[in-house]
Amino acid sequence: MSAETGGSQSQSRSDSSGMFASGQRWVENLSDTQFAYLLLAPSLLLFAVIAFWPLARTFQMSLYANSLYGADRLGEFVGFSNYVRLLTGDLNSSLPRPFLDLSQPFTSAVTVTLIFTVVSVVFETIIGFGQAIILNQDFRGRRWVRVAIILPWAVPIVIQGMIFYLLFQPTVGFLVEPLHQLGLFSTTPQANSMDSLIIVIVADVWKTSAFMALIILAGLQSVNRSLYDVAKVSGASKFEAFKTVTLPLVLPSVLVAMLFRTIGAMRVYGLITTVSSCNTVPSLSCLVVQTFSTSRYAAAAAVAFVTAALIGLVVMVYIVKFADVQGSGGI
Amino acid sequence: MSNSEGNALQRWASRSISNPERTYKALFYVLTGVFLFTTLFPFYWLLVLALTPSGNMIDVGLLPNGFNPEAFVTVFTRVPFHLYILNSLIIGVVTTAIVLVLASFAGYAFGRFEFPGRRPLMLVFLAISYFPPAAFLLPLFRLFTANITFFTLPGVGTVNSPMLFNGPGAMMLPYTALFMPLAIFILTTFYSQIPDGLEDAARVEGNTRFGALFKVIMPLSAPGVATAGVLTFISVYNEFFFAFLMTDGRVQNWATIVWGLLSYQGRYATSYNLMAAASILGVIPIAILVVVAQEKIVSGLTSGALKE
Repeated sequence: MSAETGGSQSQSRSDSSGMFASGQRWVENLSDTQFAYLLLAPSLLLFAVIAFWPLARTFQMSLYANSLYGADRLGEFVGFSNYVRLLTGDLNSSLPRPFLDLSQPFTSAVTVTLIFTVVSVVFETIIGFGQAIILNQDFRGRRWVRVAIILPWAVPIVIQGMIFYLLFQPTVGFLVEPLHQLGLFSTTPQANSMDSLIIVIVADVWKTSAFMALIILAGLQSVNRSLYDVAKVSGASKFEAFKTVTLPLVLPSVLVAMLFRTIGAMRVYGLITTVSSCNTVPSLSCLVVQTFSTSRYAAAAAVAFVTAALIGLVVMVYIVKFADVQGSGGI
Repeated sequence: MSNSEGNALQRWASRSISNPERTYKALFYVLTGVFLFTTLFPFYWLLVLALTPSGNMIDVGLLPNGFNPEAFVTVFTRVPFHLYILNSLIIGVVTTAIVLVLASFAGYAFGRFEFPGRRPLMLVFLAISYFPPAAFLLPLFRLFTANITFFTLPGVGTVNSPMLFNGPGAMMLPYTALFMPLAIFILTTFYSQIPDGLEDAARVEGNTRFGALFKVIMPLSAPGVATAGVLTFISVYNEFFFAFLMTDGRVQNWATIVWGLLSYQGRYATSYNLMAAASILGVIPIAILVVVAQEKIVSGLTSGALKE
């Protein structure tokens, strides 16, 4: 682009001598492509060690049998049978909680993760939309309302968990007793799978609706104001203007926000650990950690890779769908 | 009496119908009130619990059961909570610095050069932030606990990976990889918006390639660098997974606020006022950052999310 003029000028500096200068000369004489890759090298190296290798290694580990002996705790090569056994339920005996069991949706990892993801993302989208509409108005004190709405998003997961752990403490909080009277909660919700899942969902909605709101807000602000004037002139009510102008134009950013939240929700772990426990609400990430800690490396690796693949699947579905909505938006 | 009430209601209803703007206005204030209440009430509840004396921790209502701010002192004597916060802050600042340097290089390459493999590489970088930490955990844990053999030297023995578990590196390395993609995307956007002419001028004046990056491009993109920095710091301070699993939880082993808070849950199971006070103290640094840098947070999140 701009740097192809080469660096002959810079060599005229009188103090350029020694290793540093020759290194500098070497950099100046690289082509643009070589220079770009030089700049990317440190990130690529880090990603290779911290992301690509672990992912490949996890996949490789998942192709062996569990073994409680040996340095790497892996038995003989079994191909994809761990995955087959995960789906058929054969591997459940090696896991602290079943992987997928439709008869007990609140204690099997796939169903718990999916219920958590779908319910929390739906509520976050609705609430986030409402918050975005408010933040899109001009009013006094908007800055502080925005701070208040963003604040939960920035709260560390462990504190978020602690807040809802305390709110739903049976003896301390004022919430459990009335909810129990209504027949919605048991007296010890943090030990009950369904109650805990509900608490975890409420906590997640509290924290991350703001993220939705900000992305939807960006979409709202990109809507051309004159379109509202057109709608007004043609006699549309505010609601009709919302339906015909706002909604279609904001839809792409809503979809992006939903995708990001879906990915985030499918990794849930810390919130569960703090509010309840991985035994009570076994999400997929919980299952990976717990299986790993019982030294069943192959089974843990298989669950971990399925988790990654599930998320990859969601991303794929979304990209294929989204490509139609937005055309070639491009990076 | 009921008649006049009915009339008032009727009048209000007819006014609302004849003047829908009023209704929207009222609806707007109600909705704003509801959202403010739901986001802020949990913080208020923490304060209520923190001020309630530990003996009165039963059926606490909307006001503290008694008044005793001592919990804000006791949190530090029971558990060295300030040191846990310090660990979090150090790991956050150092990780942010590393991310900013590496992401500046990568963002500069993506934002200002057209080269073969640019688009696929950007997609690969983005994909990294999609993967769940659990997918990296097993090999990384083995790597950081010196269980991976790099190579075997005849006569000397095996050379294993360094022991990073219980140290800052075991958290900072995964954090750098996980949170760098967002920083790269924010910086790519900023770098690509700088006019070519400025960079050319810098190069003609005798700046080297890196000189142009550090003296011209980076200062011009200072808002972008600040945005990426704020978001990275918040993400690191927020993180749970590796903070929980890459140390044994002792404060001298670089355990962060995750372990600091959970230790109250474990050791002082009924000291709810301490848990609440510690939570408030842990939120303060991040709350200050949100108030000071809210514009950066908003622009960073939206640009990062809407760019790809």
